[in-house]
Amino acid sequence: MGKDWFEVTINLVKMVAVFLMMVQAVPVLVWVERRGSAFIQNRLGPNRVGPLGLMQLLADAVKFLFKEEFLPQSGVKLLYYGAPVMALIPGVLAFAAIPLSTPIEVSAFTMNLPILTSLNGSYGPYTFLFQGYEFGIGIVFVLGVSSLGAYSLLMAGWGSSNKYSLLGALRASAQMISYELALGLSLVGILLVYGTFNFSEMIAIQQGPLRFMFFGQEHSWGFLPNWGIFYQPLGALLFFAATFAESNRLPFDLPEAEGELVAGYHTEYGGFKMLMFYIGEYGHMMVASALLATFYLGGYAFPVVGWTTEAVSSFWVAKLGGTTLPSVITALCFFICLLVKIGFFLWVFVWVRWTLPRFRYDQLMDLGWKTMLPWALLNVVVTAIWLVISHS
Amino acid sequence: MLTIQDFMFYLLASGALMSGACVILLQNPIYSALSLAVAMVSIAGIFYLLGAFFIAAVQLIVYAGAVMVLFTMVLMLFDLKHEMKTFSKGVISGALKIACTGLILGLIMGAVMLAGGTVLTPQLPDAARSMEATRGLSHVLFTDYLFAFEAIGALLLIIAVGAVTLSRISGGTHAD
Repeated sequence: MGKDWFEVTINLVKMVAVFLMMVQAVPVLVWVERRGSAFIQNRLGPNRVGPLGLMQLLADAVKFLFKEEFLPQSGVKLLYYGAPVMALIPGVLAFAAIPLSTPIEVSAFTMNLPILTSLNGSYGPYTFLFQGYEFGIGIVFVLGVSSLGAYSLLMAGWGSSNKYSLLGALRASAQMISYELALGLSLVGILLVYGTFNFSEMIAIQQGPLRFMFFGQEHSWGFLPNWGIFYQPLGALLFFAATFAESNRLPFDLPEAEGELVAGYHTEYGGFKMLMFYIGEYGHMMVASALLATFYLGGYAFPVVGWTTEAVSSFWVAKLGGTTLPSVITALCFFICLLVKIGFFLWVFVWVRWTLPRFRYDQLMDLGWKTMLPWALLNVVVTAIWLVISHS
Repeated sequence: MLTIQDFMFYLLASGALMSGACVILLQNPIYSALSLAVAMVSIAGIFYLLGAFFIAAVQLIVYAGAVMVLFTMVLMLFDLKHEMKTFSKGVISGALKIACTGLILGLIMGAVMLAGGTVLTPQLPDAARSMEATRGLSHVLFTDYLFAFEAIGALLLIIAVGAVTLSRISGGTHAD
């Protein structure tokens, strides 16, 4: 956690900040979803409360908090109340492991407070990573905690003792297990190319112009950045499709198909408990968008070839001097760049939801097992052969 | 002085033991399955503390994330009142349970004794070293233990084919 109390405090604050960031983004996403769907369907959407209807979020949150609290008559109390909390955990843990920007360097300083004199003293230079916590195994950890998401749906489905909820939960867990396979396999190709599980190392590899080995000779294309999507277009497509199924959104929203199952696993939930399921779903989307950006679009890197982390950092050092301030500004620049990429993918999630119709159950299983799994396997084999040939 | 590693170990170990006890003590099979999932997550955390990062994540993905989800899903599909009565009471099934537990306990104790106390070597988690450990694991898996690895793969394939065959013969769920 850290050497002294200052580092420990900052690291703990970072964990809370990541959680709050995810939760606070949800009202904005709900607004984007409602306004976006209205835009796509030629309606206006919520536009009465505040400028552009933005205050609608506040009104909704207050409404959710003041709704009546109830438990279904033969519901199982522990599972019923535990499920919405469990829905938040995987998304938050996964999001904490993704690097959001360049590390912040804090130069050595001495603290000289008039009160709390026991804290005074000199503090050495620190390096704070711009992420909740660094796991060396990166993507494997993210896949591990994301796979726990199925429990929240199962607990909700069984705990509310409602046939629609149970059917929704069974569909959801079957779907998540089926598509986890395609999700994991679609990533094997890009992991072979990078040769690491660690997100920071992946982003470091994607810096600079596009360069690749071909029959032992290195070629470099100066005008394109060295992003994963140019090496693994098929893998990117499969991963993107599988993340829709993992976050249970249209066209994969069979677990909550309104026409058949009322609302699926959260039929019996109202008020803030339902909102927590929504936070979990949007958290899944944010993790998926951040992963797509990290794997295939260079993470927090700028799309301009010359603007590497070193170049931007040295630009701000030359302009401002010192260590701490330029590194904070550099981190903010790259953070905004990553936010733009995440925002783009989140908009695509909304766009697809309101454009495509829902799959039938047999179509869903055919797509998962008979289409995406073989293509993902083919991608792995072709990538492995290509790597052996090009590096020989 | 209790370090953070010690604290985490005691937390996770007690969590694993308690949920393990819940698996056999609770009457409702759904609760047993969920407790088993909690035990698996705790054991994944202990693997992480021991520096086996990849094993920890795979434990989460495979056991907690896929196997136990399937178990829970299947259990939820059945009306389990009858099974609850037959399997939780009775002298023979109780004796069988104790015998099985004793066998497994003896196996684990024997393994620990034979290893001469070198089973648990404390290692601090280190983000930079984790990739090396994973690389080493995969290298050993695909060179020294290649035959065992492939044999287990073939065994799992046979099990899958067998399960499909059993469900297809008359009387199964997909009988013609």
